[in-house]
Amino acid sequence: MKLKWREIIPSFLITLAVLVVLEVLTTTIGLKNFRPPFNILIVLYLSFCLENPFIALLILVTQYVHYLFSASPWAFSTFTGVLVCMAITYLRDLMQLSSAFLTIILVQIFQILWFVIESIFLYFSTNNWYFIADKFYRFIPESLFLSITAPFLFMLLEKIWKFKERNILGEDI
Amino acid sequence: MAQKETNFHQTSQFDQLLLESVAPLQNAITYLKREGKAVFDHYIANASAAKENDKLVKEVSELKNQIFKYEELQEENKRLKKLLQFGNTIPAAKRVLAQIVAWDASSDFNVIRINKGTADGILLESPVTVAEGLVGYIFRASKHYADVLTILDANNRVDGIVQRTRSHGIVEGFINNRCLMKYVTRTEPVILNDMVITSGLGHIYPRGLVVGKVTKIERESFGITQYIEITPQVDFGRIEEVMVLIGPAENAQRQSEWDQLDKQNGGEP
Repeated sequence: MKLKWREIIPSFLITLAVLVVLEVLTTTIGLKNFRPPFNILIVLYLSFCLENPFIALLILVTQYVHYLFSASPWAFSTFTGVLVCMAITYLRDLMQLSSAFLTIILVQIFQILWFVIESIFLYFSTNNWYFIADKFYRFIPESLFLSITAPFLFMLLEKIWKFKERNILGEDI
Repeated sequence: MAQKETNFHQTSQFDQLLLESVAPLQNAITYLKREGKAVFDHYIANASAAKENDKLVKEVSELKNQIFKYEELQEENKRLKKLLQFGNTIPAAKRVLAQIVAWDASSDFNVIRINKGTADGILLESPVTVAEGLVGYIFRASKHYADVLTILDANNRVDGIVQRTRSHGIVEGFINNRCLMKYVTRTEPVILNDMVITSGLGHIYPRGLVVGKVTKIERESFGITQYIEITPQVDFGRIEEVMVLIGPAENAQRQSEWDQLDKQNGGEP
């Protein structure tokens, strides 16, 4: 879905507000060792649905907002997000979020890709496989939770971005 | 002759018939009146009692809430007293008490956010402690909030010594809420349950703060160091308040050391 900048900014600001709410809930109410990264879900949605040459900038802003709530370096997570977005762009024609089940499967697959990229960088910085194993044990429940909630969150984001309405109206498909 | 002054009336048969006809009606009306009065009285009484019951239940609930709040205040008071008493043992440090408001949004990092910032005197790299031991240091601060990089995080390194043997090493965050003490030579006689404290080197943490206890040791037949795991003394799942230690003298000394290093390397301080 190709959009112009003036159409993107209002929807993106609302998306960031949703992200802020989710981050606040996760950091205050969430368990210490279970904090699902909703920023990944938002980046995946933008990658699935938006075709814009500046999507990397949107990913950067999303990760920067996440950085306000986390110590994770925004540059590193932006780079990971851009790599995943590139993979989604190449495979876009093969994928359709036509049902909740497909959404769950696709979100899980790309979360695994995100995890693999982050683990490679984590190994480079720590040189210790124990950290990767520990990260993997935390990744399993968090990613499953995100995949299961993905259809609902995508439905909310669809109301914000209105991609399907724009398609129906025949504008810039 | 005495006269009785009494008043009576002899009833005739007709009088008796009338009396016998009217009296039951009177009896019925009196009965209804009595019963009606009893029902009316009971309704009013029950309504009052029900309202009073509701009022008392609400009052009891409010009192229970107050008791709960007072108990919480009592516990907080005990914790803060303990923290203050501990802080008094550390010389020449300004102490800022803060509450934990949030954890890191990513489970890869062990960072906590506290509700005090630069406006309250907090400086970057100020050590953060609780009565039980070391928590971490301030790694990011805004005007009213600050982020603490805890000792559980792999990016935090504490210069530590084993209290009993004075063996020196670097403590860094590991997995499963444990820390790893590295670069301890394998000839050092460290045993389980040895206490690890801060050495004071590096000018971030003051000397003598408790880090944790040794809970695992592995010595291989090769290599020059031994593998030591430490369980932190602080229960990070339960802490609610922390104390930030601010030592302007240490910061000034640290800054002058950095300036000297920059001069030696040929750069501007």
